[in-house]
Amino acid sequence: MLKLDNISKKMGDFALSGISMEIREGEYYVLLGRSGSGKTQLLELIAGLNYPDSGKLWLDDEDITFKKIQDRNIGLVFQDYAIFPNLTVFGNIAYSLHCRKTQKSTIIKEVTRIAKELNISHLLNRFTDNLSGGELQRVALARTLITSPRLLLLDEPLASIDASLKDDIKRTFRQLNKKGLTIIHVTHDYSEAVSLAKRIGVIHNGNIVQEGAPDDVFGKPVNRFVARYAGIRNFFRVRFSKEGLLWKAVSEGKLAFNLSEGNYPDEGLVLVRSNAISVSVEEPLHENGNCFKGVIKDISPCEKGMELMVEAGEMFYVDITMNDFKKLQITETSDIWIIFPEEACIALQGGSM
Amino acid sequence: MSRNSPFNWILLILSSLVLLFILAPLAGMFLHTGGSELLETVNDQEVRASIWLTIWVAFAATFFFAIGAIPLAWLLARKEFPMKNVVQGIIDLPVVLPHTAAGIAILGFISRDGLLGKAANSVGLTLINNPRGIALAMAFVSIPFLINAARDGFTAVPERLEKAALSLGASRTRVFFTISLPLAWRSIMTGFVMMFARGMSEFGAVVIVAYHPMVAPVLIYERFSSFGLKYARPAAVLFIIVALAVFILLRLISVRKKETHILPDAEA
Repeated sequence: MLKLDNISKKMGDFALSGISMEIREGEYYVLLGRSGSGKTQLLELIAGLNYPDSGKLWLDDEDITFKKIQDRNIGLVFQDYAIFPNLTVFGNIAYSLHCRKTQKSTIIKEVTRIAKELNISHLLNRFTDNLSGGELQRVALARTLITSPRLLLLDEPLASIDASLKDDIKRTFRQLNKKGLTIIHVTHDYSEAVSLAKRIGVIHNGNIVQEGAPDDVFGKPVNRFVARYAGIRNFFRVRFSKEGLLWKAVSEGKLAFNLSEGNYPDEGLVLVRSNAISVSVEEPLHENGNCFKGVIKDISPCEKGMELMVEAGEMFYVDITMNDFKKLQITETSDIWIIFPEEACIALQGGSM
Repeated sequence: MSRNSPFNWILLILSSLVLLFILAPLAGMFLHTGGSELLETVNDQEVRASIWLTIWVAFAATFFFAIGAIPLAWLLARKEFPMKNVVQGIIDLPVVLPHTAAGIAILGFISRDGLLGKAANSVGLTLINNPRGIALAMAFVSIPFLINAARDGFTAVPERLEKAALSLGASRTRVFFTISLPLAWRSIMTGFVMMFARGMSEFGAVVIVAYHPMVAPVLIYERFSSFGLKYARPAAVLFIIVALAVFILLRLISVRKKETHILPDAEA
């Protein structure tokens, strides 16, 4: 449906370089990246607010690289909504119809219909000064959807919304997508991406560094940057070697990890998810996989319960539940065993950071 | 900080002195002008004509030059172009020029040998000693007030609002008239009022371009130099009253427009 072919654009010191991607009809695609990674700039190129220095943009097999923004039929919802403060909610939603010189009766009918769909009928005559974040978001959506866009672009749509309203808005996005609307959603929030995306593209320094289904991207991150997004904090630079039939990875701290079968390069990174590691205060018996003795350096609350920082030749971050924490009766400086299976080790080639 | 701290007292005294400096001469002038003198001046056809001429010429100059000044202000706010700083410097130039020098420059420009004077002459228009020439002199010295205020107004309009309008299918012209202009309106009106007020009070440039027909500042000067302070004062008081009334009226009109809360551009 939408195809970006080797798109490059220089903006001051920053550049989008050689971006190629394809969005399929009806897809919910999330572009995930930090602030300043180039995701908004890429969205503006797709929308037509800027033109690329090189490369091609195709929409439904039509070259739209230099097509005027007004003729692209791509809807864009801005971060912080960009609601026109000089117009009422009705005026905002009707804006695009006025641009198309639509008949007054049709405008009223269309605005009423879309406002009902998005539950903002009661706001139509109000100015936008005192609307909540959620209401503004719905007005912005209505204003864009009334144009019946071929593709909807959402720029950090949940960034300024109260946590309590986020689920509501997410549900609206999902419903729109279910009805067949293709959506590209830009965010810096991992959980937002995972909860909405059919496919994710991770953008970093103006490049798409990994793309795929959420499970693939965060299950097999290609580099440390993507892994960090998945919440992985245990990274170790290693040399891989085969001893008989078994693969091992030896870290700079001389820690030897047992790996599952596979093909490994000479050197690279080993990543271990915090929640894949279990702990024991006694030496485990007959433990396969990986088992290291360490000392607790720090204990701090985390989403799961408690996060332990364990020095075991390398520094490990381990998440445990509050129940386990109480049962173990551990404190800082306690000795502890950390255990994780071979499959928990994710190997990255070359050690790209 | 305590309300009675020495710092607050110093601030209060210094501020009062500055206000007194502005108000005292005006108050003195009003107090020295009797009601009968003022009434006589109100009935003076020459004074009335001069004040009316000053108001309408200043308004016309502001209105016509705004047509070019507002788009220029938008360009300065939105676009980057070579020598932009030089252009900005040129716009501010009339503020720093001695106004008599500005008058001489304009006179050269609109006299029969000047570029504009020749062109106007060829279509049968006279500029010297004519309201048209007065309007040009007023506009020359006062236009920076409008351009700078409008530029600040456009700068304060978040660019993302204009982008949003474009993405909704609006043409650049439509975006300008439906988004940029309404949102910068208050600043533009402030600039408009300031340009109008500055033009109305102009003496130096106007007196060189057109002694006749006499605008109010020239008439006051003429009465002062011919008859002295006593005769100039009632005309000055009347002009100040009328100018203040028009000034306040325009300010009221400009702030009556609905106040809009504009959020700054979101971080990229």
